[in-house]
Amino acid sequence: MLEAVRVSKAFGEVRALDEVTLTVAPGELYCLLGANGAGKTTLVNLFLGFLAPTAGEVRIAGQDVARHPLESKRDVAYIPEQVVLYGVLTGVENLRFFAELATGERQTRARLLELLTEVGLDPRAADQRVATYSKGMRQKVGIAIAFAKQARALLLDEPTSGLDPHAANEFSQLLERARSSGVAILTTTHDLFHAKRSGTRVGIMKRGRLVAELATSELSHADLESLYLQHMSA
Amino acid sequence: MSSNTFVFRRTLAHELRLLSADRSLWLVSVILLGLFAFATRNGVVQTRARDAAAAHARAAEAAGQAAVVERLRRVMSRAEAPDPWGNPTDPSLVGGGMAPRNAILPTAPLAPLAIGQSDMYPDTYRITTKSRVEFMYDSEIENPWNLLTGRFDVAFVITYLLPLLVLAWSYNLVAAEREQGTLRMLLSQPVGLGTVVAAKVLVRSAVLLLWAVAIPVATIALLRPEARGPAGVTALACFAGLTAAYALFWFALAVIVDGFSRSSALSALALVSAWVVLALVLPVTINLIAAAISPAPSRAELATQTRVITIENLDQLSGKFRADYRYVSNPDLLLPKDGRFEVPDRLRAFFLAGQRLDQRIGQALDAFDASLARQQAIVDRLGLLSPAILAHEGLAAIAGNGTKRYQRFHHQVTAFHEEWRRFFGPRVLEGVAITEADFARMPAWTWREAEIDELRTSTLRRLGQLLVLGGLLGALAWAKLRRYRVA
Amino acid sequence: MNRALLIARRDLTDFARGGRLYWAGGLILVLVATSLVVGWQRQRESRAERTRAQALDYGDWIRQPERHPHDAAHQGMHVFKPEPALSIVDPGIVPFVGSTLWLGAHRQTEVKFRPAQDATGLQRFGSLSPAWAAQILGPLLVILLGFSAFSAEREHGTLRQMLSLGVSRSQLLWGKALALGGGLGLVLVPAGLLAGIAVIVAAEPSARGDAFSRLLGLAAGYGAYLGIFIFLSLGVSALASSSRLALVSLLAFWIVVALVAPRSVADVSRSLDPSPSREAFNAALDADLGAATQRASLERFGVRDAFGPGVPLSRWGLALKVHDHAGYGVMDRHFDALWESYARQQRMQEWTGFLLPTIGIRAFSMGVAGTDFAEHRAFSLAAERQRRVMQDIISQDLVDHADGRKEEHFSYRASRALWARVPPFQHQPAAAGAALARNLRSLGMLTLGLLLSATLAALAVSRRRLW
Repeated sequence: MLEAVRVSKAFGEVRALDEVTLTVAPGELYCLLGANGAGKTTLVNLFLGFLAPTAGEVRIAGQDVARHPLESKRDVAYIPEQVVLYGVLTGVENLRFFAELATGERQTRARLLELLTEVGLDPRAADQRVATYSKGMRQKVGIAIAFAKQARALLLDEPTSGLDPHAANEFSQLLERARSSGVAILTTTHDLFHAKRSGTRVGIMKRGRLVAELATSELSHADLESLYLQHMSA
Repeated sequence: MSSNTFVFRRTLAHELRLLSADRSLWLVSVILLGLFAFATRNGVVQTRARDAAAAHARAAEAAGQAAVVERLRRVMSRAEAPDPWGNPTDPSLVGGGMAPRNAILPTAPLAPLAIGQSDMYPDTYRITTKSRVEFMYDSEIENPWNLLTGRFDVAFVITYLLPLLVLAWSYNLVAAEREQGTLRMLLSQPVGLGTVVAAKVLVRSAVLLLWAVAIPVATIALLRPEARGPAGVTALACFAGLTAAYALFWFALAVIVDGFSRSSALSALALVSAWVVLALVLPVTINLIAAAISPAPSRAELATQTRVITIENLDQLSGKFRADYRYVSNPDLLLPKDGRFEVPDRLRAFFLAGQRLDQRIGQALDAFDASLARQQAIVDRLGLLSPAILAHEGLAAIAGNGTKRYQRFHHQVTAFHEEWRRFFGPRVLEGVAITEADFARMPAWTWREAEIDELRTSTLRRLGQLLVLGGLLGALAWAKLRRYRVA
Repeated sequence: MNRALLIARRDLTDFARGGRLYWAGGLILVLVATSLVVGWQRQRESRAERTRAQALDYGDWIRQPERHPHDAAHQGMHVFKPEPALSIVDPGIVPFVGSTLWLGAHRQTEVKFRPAQDATGLQRFGSLSPAWAAQILGPLLVILLGFSAFSAEREHGTLRQMLSLGVSRSQLLWGKALALGGGLGLVLVPAGLLAGIAVIVAAEPSARGDAFSRLLGLAAGYGAYLGIFIFLSLGVSALASSSRLALVSLLAFWIVVALVAPRSVADVSRSLDPSPSREAFNAALDADLGAATQRASLERFGVRDAFGPGVPLSRWGLALKVHDHAGYGVMDRHFDALWESYARQQRMQEWTGFLLPTIGIRAFSMGVAGTDFAEHRAFSLAAERQRRVMQDIISQDLVDHADGRKEEHFSYRASRALWARVPPFQHQPAAAGAALARNLRSLGMLTLGLLLSATLAALAVSRRRLW
């Protein structure tokens, strides 16, 4: 579903990505680990068409993102680290706007409220201005948008950062639901714990290269941690 | 694809909602309402004053005429003795100032829109057989300080202030979303940045143009019946079109600067600088250039030539200038005999002097018209460099207060003056008395307005130039936005 | 004081390194230089022309052959308004008033041939001149350099640092004011010198001292004007919560003061104290003239019409004299009322000068340069006096020599001696001192504005939470 084929991205002299090849199949939750500046966010930006690759290809559902920028966005939903919404509008209004943009179809209020309930947003908050929302609430709206889109792939940037353990847990459960219904999920994260717990596969990036890739079932939490640290200090 | 139009419409609605929620919609509307209301009011007041002055001139002319006819009747019936300096049977006196005709330029249907040159050139000339030089170089009475300052009319608001509002409202269309953080959310949906920006521009331009066009048009259409006729409606359409094209140019400029700049603060500075250059610096500089390339001939020189010709006339006609005052001993000489009247030599000499002066000074006077036409041509060509010039000149032309219409008036007045002279000349030189029937036969002034097509063509030309400029910028902006890299 | 100088020097270095000063200042210098070159050339040509035309005209007057004096009045004389040396710095209202006036019999004529009527509609945007650049673009340069004076330092944290080092508020303010003044000076001093040199060189040698005094006066006025913007920029920069807000507020102020207010104030003053239309003025003047001459004629000759059958030819010269003199009072009244209404309108607007400095500097600059309406009015009055001298000499001569001939009145030919009795027209513009004295009101308003803005800046900077 999500494919990066020998993708490189250079910003002038700096090689942000160096021949990265990566595939995320439907039903997989792939966690991309690495230090800041390793190239994780750059890869996500390439999938979203926010950047063009210097070499190689990036594909979503078989479509080359660089050649079909708008069409490829129909199949992928994105939840940034900071879900920024329009503060003067309410949760429902934000959801409506993004969902209608995403699907190209009118959304009924009933359906929108249903989505918000599904992601665990307090129904009373739905009609309040987003400026009053906490980070967790905004993230839930972000997921609701992704669900409304019924996208086959999901891209997430540091989804659990800044969330308390309960909220992080809730979030992981939602992701699991999506994964088990066949969505291909790629997340970037520092959170080794949730990577092992929720992820099906893990990739470690260092200085633009994918230096390790393995299934989480093959490792324990402790092993993952020591493998990660090993690569980081090398 | 219908989903594309749906997406566009949704984006429009969303943008409108945002603008109304952050109050900028209301603020901009209130400011525009205030500006245009005040400006339209000033234009209407000035136009009313001009109309009243013209009506007054017509009434005075009619009354004066009637008085002279009445006097003629009394003189012919011997009820009153003719006054040698106010003899209604003397063609040189009747044509020379006793019963002048007024050449009046009526206000155009949309005159309140732009005061233009109407506070400098007069709308009325008093036509007599005297030389052109004596009456054609008057000017309208206006405090020179006010002339220097300029007027607060609709043309001023549109030329200078509307662009500032456009820029203030659209200098950070993309940068705001980026700096706010919503751009990533937005562009991760299948919607192009070009579509988003187009929707933002459309909503803002609709609001701006609604006020900028609706208030003046509604006010003028209500208050001036001429504006509701076919010529008026065409002019109103020209006004709407020109204003829209001008606003769109500034929107295009804002979008392209926003697209290329790194931060909204930088965009703001760059756009304000662009406005200063395009709306302030370029017009005054081009004015300087036009005057330097094609300077007006010297008025001092004209005065000298006038005097030289006058002196020659005085010399050549000196014999005639000896006054003939035989009437003093023989008052009957002041009455016509069988329709003939012997115009005193002196008055005949004055008539001839005026005619000769005009013939010989005509070329020098035409040189002024020619230089002005050349300057105007330079301005029209260089106007492409500054949209503010295009808008300002265009609006003055639509209001009928531009240089061209006054030049046209000037030419028609000159022609009418000639016609007036042709009527009285033979009567003066051959000694034919004025009768009551002559008053109906004297040349009557009619103003021949240019075809509305001319206005339409010149507006379309300016509009076209604006659209080309704006279109170029817009195309560049579109290309840039399509390739916009969010990260 | 030492610290203030250090602050000033540091800020000035910032200006010199940044791009703003160069391209904005460079633009202003280019514009000033261009306008000076073009203006100087034009003034040189027109001055030579005028002198020549004036001499020729008088020459033609005294070379008239023997003729009936009244015919001479029909030839008349032309007078040309002298162009003051400083008109290349500030053309003022010169494009909007005429330069040539014809003095003829019977009627006061107005100065004709406004240069603006020989120009396209673009003239209404303004005339490019050093004064225009200083009045309109100068404040923009100040705002551009000064809007971030305090707010940028606050945003970078250096303001707090400086204050914690013991720099006093007033040292801060004066240091930054000096820097702004210095940065401005880098642009305006060369511009001013260029303008000054152009004026002195172009002026006639006898007028150079006067021109120099006027230039000094202008320097003072523009100093006050730009000083207002310096303190205002600093004050707003200190008060505003962000650089962006400071810039927006200052620009909004400039737009209102330099662009919107002058026009609105002019329109308001025009509504409160309107000038008559040409039609109305002529009609009223004619009516009053008619009434006055009839009255005078009735008094003197017992008939309404001095030139009618009731008055014999032997009193024709006297009739002319009576007629003309009756007219003088009427014309004085009408023209005076008109010109007074102009002066009133302008005065009304000048009083706003402390809040709307652009209006104040415009009035002051024109007044000191000698291109304002007061100067024009003085010229018109002098010309009219000349005309009356000419007319009175002629009609007196008629009374003395022609009236006695009765029916042969018009066979009288005056000799050349009569023409020579009319002196050539000489009009000197007011001296620099008089011009300055006349414009104290606008200077006063500018000074008041300067004090207000300096106070504002001082108050803004002495707030506790400056950082």
